[in-house]
Amino acid sequence: MELIRSSQTAATKSRNVTTAPDSSRAERSKDHWSQLLERVASHQDRAAFHELFEHFGPQIKYYAISNGIAHQAEELVQEVMISIWRRACTYDWRKAAASTWIFTIARNQRIDMLRKIQRGSAEMAIETEDLWQIPGDDEKDPVPSLHRIIAERRIRDSFEHLPQEQLTVLKQVYLEHKSHQAVAEDLDIPLGTVKSRVRLALGKLKVILQDQDL
Amino acid sequence: MSTHHPDEVLLMEYSAGTLSEPMALCMRMHLDRCSHCRGQLDMLNSLGAIMLDHSQQASRVSDDLFDNIVAQIDSEPAPREAETEKPAHDSPLERLLGSDLQELPWKRQLADVSVYDLSDRFPGDERVTLQKLCAGGRAPSHSHHGSEATLVLTGAFADANGVFSKGDFVILDQHHDHQPVALHGEDCITLSVMDAPVKLTGRLTRLLNPFIR
Repeated sequence: MELIRSSQTAATKSRNVTTAPDSSRAERSKDHWSQLLERVASHQDRAAFHELFEHFGPQIKYYAISNGIAHQAEELVQEVMISIWRRACTYDWRKAAASTWIFTIARNQRIDMLRKIQRGSAEMAIETEDLWQIPGDDEKDPVPSLHRIIAERRIRDSFEHLPQEQLTVLKQVYLEHKSHQAVAEDLDIPLGTVKSRVRLALGKLKVILQDQDL
Repeated sequence: MSTHHPDEVLLMEYSAGTLSEPMALCMRMHLDRCSHCRGQLDMLNSLGAIMLDHSQQASRVSDDLFDNIVAQIDSEPAPREAETEKPAHDSPLERLLGSDLQELPWKRQLADVSVYDLSDRFPGDERVTLQKLCAGGRAPSHSHHGSEATLVLTGAFADANGVFSKGDFVILDQHHDHQPVALHGEDCITLSVMDAPVKLTGRLTRLLNPFIR
């Protein structure tokens, strides 16, 4: 019995080492929010869903307010949370962190809401998700789980050290729904300056891939 | 894999969701064919999530909001199968058109150039067109007032800046005086989003009026 168990362990180990060292190491660093999403997906776990709501609900509400849709802020939270509930089964932690996946859902729901307000009752010619995909919806990519997790950690760490002027530009684009042109007008600086601040920031965060990664 | 890509500033606007619908469509169609830009986009999306996480002013939500959400979930049937149904067309552009590219009612502008205008499918003032340059055909020389985003859907064209083939994305502006030539073998169809009319530099100005209005 003991023998069987240890040989099984050995087999598991060697399988991990030979075929999937990347995903097994990444599996161990799977974040808390991803685990909660998986519980929602596998058995409609309401406690897990509530914990996600407690963490992301206020962020999404802030996102709506900063984007100028304060009146619909809680409506957006509601739409995003319902979408998370329905789509949790399509979430793949190897393709995106839970927070990234939720960010893209919030972004799309925000776009969707604005499009509906703009269009009134007119039918939309093309679905928001045909224009902006949610990570994991396309099956094309091999799964670079460990690479993704390391890259994300790097962005998170270097984010803290960005100069204020670069941070301001990123915030206006991501949280205030401003084009670079609008940021330039708002800060009263040339468009070229805005773009160079973005490039400097993305370079520092290593969001821009180096040539060897191409 | 494409060789001509949108720059990181455009990718970031796409990730943040600030691009117009036609521009987002161009980006989506490029991303479908470009793993390099998909990799960049993944990281930009992570950046968006990190920025949201860092926003200090996260706002308190109403006490009954969670109950309302749960009530709505309970009032609906389990996630519908219909949502995962496979659509008739693979490409988002063909879903929008409801047709294959070849079967569209193309309008011939010149011997080698045909156009299909789809500006009215989108809100906003951008001019959105499909342009077809027949295999081996030549378009008149022109430059651009504002900027024109071009995505190659089929075939390939060449101009002084290089060869642009399926999936390639390029922004043409006043610095490009270009006279595209389609490569032989296949019609070159592009999706173009113009924020201002084209300025003609050749002698065919009058002939092309409908094309550039």
